[in-house]
Amino acid sequence: MEKNQILSVAISGLLALGLAGTANAADNKPEMEKCFGIAKAGMNDCSGSKSSHSCAGQASKNNDPMDFVAVPKGTCNKIANGSLTDGGGVVKKAM
Amino acid sequence: MTELIDQLSHFAQTIVQGKEPKTQITNCYANYSQNTAIEVYRNNYRGNLHDALAGAYPVIKLLVGDDFFRMLALKFIEHNPSRSANLHHYGAELPDFVASFEPAQALAYLSDTATLEWACHCAYFANDAPLFNLAQLAQFAPDQHPYLVFDLHPATRIVRSLYPISAIWLAHHPDAEVDFQIDLNSGSCIALVCRRFNKVEVINLSEPEAYWLHQILTETPLGGSTMTTLEHYPDFNLQTTLVKLVEMNVITGVKLGA
Repeated sequence: MEKNQILSVAISGLLALGLAGTANAADNKPEMEKCFGIAKAGMNDCSGSKSSHSCAGQASKNNDPMDFVAVPKGTCNKIANGSLTDGGGVVKKAM
Repeated sequence: MTELIDQLSHFAQTIVQGKEPKTQITNCYANYSQNTAIEVYRNNYRGNLHDALAGAYPVIKLLVGDDFFRMLALKFIEHNPSRSANLHHYGAELPDFVASFEPAQALAYLSDTATLEWACHCAYFANDAPLFNLAQLAQFAPDQHPYLVFDLHPATRIVRSLYPISAIWLAHHPDAEVDFQIDLNSGSCIALVCRRFNKVEVINLSEPEAYWLHQILTETPLGGSTMTTLEHYPDFNLQTTLVKLVEMNVITGVKLGA
């Protein structure tokens, strides 16, 4: 196909879909855009009752975080073949 | 002035690095000793930054668990003081830190997953853009098409990884199934981060799509971008790519290039 033809076919294809109302984001009612500066839920909340608990879970003494054995205990255990040996080889783990 | 800077610098070292204060710090709470007051300040400082990191990296936190994340965060905070008055800017260096963090070495995909999360975090706070108006595109004649330059939404980010990081990210989405099955050997991915209707979304791109989009990102006109992509990837389908990127609110405008 001719160079310009490729572009024009693609663009008319896009426009046709848009006119049919299936593919055009602009066809959807624009929702209210967020106000600038609004934080994600629970984040950067430095006011109200939460701020007095900002150090919740932080011991009042300086504890060395390396004191306990560092083993990830989250959902990473669910990812098959997700753990590598020091040598870089993939360890086959039973699922 | 120098004296004030020195004092502030000593105070910062006391808080951030846990060093002994070099000068007397006035304490307005009679019940606290100076050391206790500094510890409270330090723990608040760390607690706030920990919470900022937890807000920016919810998937990493779920992947490694709360205790491990807290340890990772505290180690990171020790080496990375906050440099912006806006806490949303804090944590950009975490992916690199994770890559070199000894206790996380077994999780090879963790650093790339963090890179994707930071891209999502930035996408969330990126500037708004108008929705793409197809009528704007319709006004150009076919002989102008090669010279068209697309505007992309400021939230758009591309993250490449050898690991299936978009699947990992999607599995931890609040709407995702609790039980997921991901095989780390299922291959590399090119994650496209975009934002539509105020929600950050992650989808996968094919190699040809990513190759084309990289050129569009650098404002290469449509003709040149498409031809170079077709030379490398004869299977590249411009129409499906355009439809996908308009649908995902990645393309937000079009103009005639110089």
